[in-house]
Amino acid sequence: MSVEPEPVTLTIDGKEVTVPTGTLVIRAAEQLGIEIPRFCDHPFLDPVGACRQCYVEIEGQRKLFTACTTEVAAGMVVHTQNTSELAHEGQVANLEFLLINHPLDCPICDRGGECPLQDQTMAFGPGESRYIEPKRVYRKPIPLSPLVLLDRERCVLCARCTRFCDQISGDRFIEMFARGAGQQVAIAAGEDFRSPFSGNTIQICPVGALTASTYRFVARPFDVHVADGICGHCSAGCNVRVDVRRGEVVRVLARDNAEVNDAWICDKGRFAFRAADGPGRVTTPLIRERGLEPASFDEVLGRVAEWSRGARVAFLTGGRLADEDAFALSKLARVAFGTNDLDHRRAFHGGLAEELEAASALRVTYRDVERAGAILVVGLDAEQEVPILHLRIRKAARRGARVFVVHSRETRLSDVAEHLLCRPGQEGAVLERLIEGGAAGSDEERVARALRTAEGAVVLAGSLLAEHPLATDVALRLSRRLGAGFALVPRRAGDRGALRAGVHPALLPGGRRLAVASERAEVEAVWGELRSSEPGRNGREILEACARREIDVLFLVGVDPLRDVPDAALARRALENVPVKVVQSLELGELEPYADAFLPAAALHEREGHLTTWEGRSQRTRPVRAPAGLSRPDWEIFAGLAEAVGAPLGFGSVEELREEMEALLAPREVSERPTAWVGAGVPQWLDEVTLFTYPLLVDEGRLSEGASELKAALEEPAFVEVHPEDAERLHLADGGWARVRTGAGEATLPVRVSSRVAQGSVFVPFNQPGLEANRLLSGRFTAAATLEAVPGGGEGARGGEGIAGPEAKT
Amino acid sequence: MAVLTPELRAEAERIKARYPAGRERSAIMPLLYLVQSVEGRVTQDGLREVASLLGITTAEVEAVAGFYTMIRLRPTGRYVVSVCTNLACALRGARGVLEAARRTAGVPTDGELSEDGLFTVHEEECLAACDAAPVVAVNFANYDRMTEATVSELIEALRRGEEPPPARGPFPGDFRLVSRLLAGVPESVGAGAPEATATAEEPLR
Repeated sequence: MSVEPEPVTLTIDGKEVTVPTGTLVIRAAEQLGIEIPRFCDHPFLDPVGACRQCYVEIEGQRKLFTACTTEVAAGMVVHTQNTSELAHEGQVANLEFLLINHPLDCPICDRGGECPLQDQTMAFGPGESRYIEPKRVYRKPIPLSPLVLLDRERCVLCARCTRFCDQISGDRFIEMFARGAGQQVAIAAGEDFRSPFSGNTIQICPVGALTASTYRFVARPFDVHVADGICGHCSAGCNVRVDVRRGEVVRVLARDNAEVNDAWICDKGRFAFRAADGPGRVTTPLIRERGLEPASFDEVLGRVAEWSRGARVAFLTGGRLADEDAFALSKLARVAFGTNDLDHRRAFHGGLAEELEAASALRVTYRDVERAGAILVVGLDAEQEVPILHLRIRKAARRGARVFVVHSRETRLSDVAEHLLCRPGQEGAVLERLIEGGAAGSDEERVARALRTAEGAVVLAGSLLAEHPLATDVALRLSRRLGAGFALVPRRAGDRGALRAGVHPALLPGGRRLAVASERAEVEAVWGELRSSEPGRNGREILEACARREIDVLFLVGVDPLRDVPDAALARRALENVPVKVVQSLELGELEPYADAFLPAAALHEREGHLTTWEGRSQRTRPVRAPAGLSRPDWEIFAGLAEAVGAPLGFGSVEELREEMEALLAPREVSERPTAWVGAGVPQWLDEVTLFTYPLLVDEGRLSEGASELKAALEEPAFVEVHPEDAERLHLADGGWARVRTGAGEATLPVRVSSRVAQGSVFVPFNQPGLEANRLLSGRFTAAATLEAVPGGGEGARGGEGIAGPEAKT
Repeated sequence: MAVLTPELRAEAERIKARYPAGRERSAIMPLLYLVQSVEGRVTQDGLREVASLLGITTAEVEAVAGFYTMIRLRPTGRYVVSVCTNLACALRGARGVLEAARRTAGVPTDGELSEDGLFTVHEEECLAACDAAPVVAVNFANYDRMTEATVSELIEALRRGEEPPPARGPFPGDFRLVSRLLAGVPESVGAGAPEATATAEEPLR
């Protein structure tokens, strides 16, 4: 598979070019800087030759050829419209043909000003049409979903949208109906374009046939400011372009980057862009006097410094900090406050795998996934957690990779992957059996063999696996045994950056262990001597210490423990008992009653910075507008606070900060040790069923606030998913209601009976409307649960129609 | 709502099994015929059922169903009268044959379905028998060298319940039966589907 194709030399418009065998003429022309007009051709989709626009003349051939479907040949002599009158005439005639039924409504079309049809008609086409008959008229627009609208009369039938759904996302909701003279893009009656990648069809539509409900009639390309950013919704690190009109974000588009997101982004990245402009945003520092009152940064920082002097201080963060922020926080906590009580994680798996990731010692990239011969996905629902990785796995499968998923719930890879369903917590045991090669004749034996024999296998471990202490190390060991690549795939955009920076109770920047003198010394050489070499408390222990009043000041940086921590009761107890709470975020939200001080942070698109992808790739993001109000980048706030406590961090600019980061965050070799994992043992099921939860892509998360169209399209109300055999045993009916009880609380939820979920386990999404699932949890994302049917809401009550709605009690 | 009886669903599984593993979607045409043999057409429910049998989306099924004129997505009579109006037939008077057929069958202007629900009359692109132009097919069986008079006679005969012999082969029987034959499922399996003629005509989408 690593055999390089033979190079071929051909001539295009009199210029010679050498390209690999199999290259399409249109791509070869691009290499010479020769532009051939096209509509259906897209570098990330298979050639189709649907629009016929890219006609070129090839010497020795009698007819014109479409450059997008013709492969190069040695000695081929190609003439494009630049040097062939025939090709030029063919292109002009084709454009006139395409425009016959096109309404030419550019002045009212969203695409006007950035439309390939408009641009190419001006550049390559006829100035006038000879067509005087009435044009085709359709009812318009047809909503394919609450996000995507279709104006059929504008369509040139290039099939980019339907091919995207077929080849890339696999969500084949739209198709060419009525093939023939009346051919049109359509969706089956009563169905919705329920794909988390639907927005890509809008972006690749070469005309204005598919438009976004969020952007229809909103702006013209010439009245928006744009900047190149990185999407902050997950760890995929998609390259995006952010459009701002009159100070408000109005659109997000994908930028092409073949190393990261190809040309795609998910619908959350594309359509959830209003959070920073929402009514909840606070852009002024606040201090609690009689109530929370506006104050200057100096005043608030001064007061916070006063409270913190000699006090027991701890820091919790979420997953949205940029790399620079995380690094500044790591230094602030350790140098200015002398504490190791800081954490960014929600699950505390620890172990060697985490340390290797922190040290940037593991290097699996998108490209490795794309080219892998086999992929093992463990504890990761990529479509919901890191959607662009999901697309890359699908791409690998199209290239022939065998894909296996070990999870408690079948993922949307099911059409290209084999799933090994297991009860939550048993992933480690499955991995152990794979390491041993599996019992003779078992699925595991077959999977183990496929992984072992594949060229370039990759193991991807997700956050559900990281839920179980040291289980990630078993996955790591399996990858070593197979000679496969390994990556821990965190969900949130700031997770990898925070881990590398040492926003962690036991790991310093670069994964250096606090407790190991030689590793600590490397950090001390830059930061000066650290006050404590004792690992601090992890996130859960910090909250427990708060609840026991063993911490005086709790900094909550971009995190709302009431919603983010898998133990709502503990979060509440912590907030009620810690004397001082300092909130640093975009908004106060439910923390308003608790906050003693508020420090307004700038949104991602308002500041310079970097985000690190799950691969460990640090990518620069640029501001598209100034920070709103008085808000500042998080790292600047940390620097200000350090000044206020009299221990400056020593960097006054992003450049200085990055210099220090580069010194400490360069990839390190980590000596491998045997893991402390002692084996999964024999599973014992004392509980009736095991409840497990993880966040779905579109949920009630803070960054999706204001994304009403996205939520209308993709957000599902809370539900509980039960395996058919469990449902029968527990007398639960699909569409009925169940009372779910755990040690932490109970909730009444609509039941979905589905063999997608492993027998013996039930799935509840983490944060959908109707249930904050952390009320059912006691520190982990799994819990022993009992279910019983609720007869009142029984027969006929279906999920979406429950008027009383699901309720949660603690 | 399920279109296929449990017996016919079992038959559908057997049809699927004729194709190699992983290529089950190739069974889409026979399954559409099978659904059509029950409904006398293919409704949205039918499309959905085929989709679920094959594990593909309804849109994918409709994209195929919408291409072939043999798969009827709109209310359809017991006899589908297809009149070829392509070049050879047109030159030999197919336009008049079509008009006569519509008139005799009682098809309203701009419609396809006769008022009594017995006939669907529509233009066909080509019936592959130019030597016998103009050609008319009733439930896919060709009648050669038709005139305005002979097509009217043909339709009257069908209305009387007669079985006028086609140019080749036996009289095809009604549309459901023909669809059943095309699905490759014997008539006896799952018999007893309710006999119904189409009534209301739905607007074109």
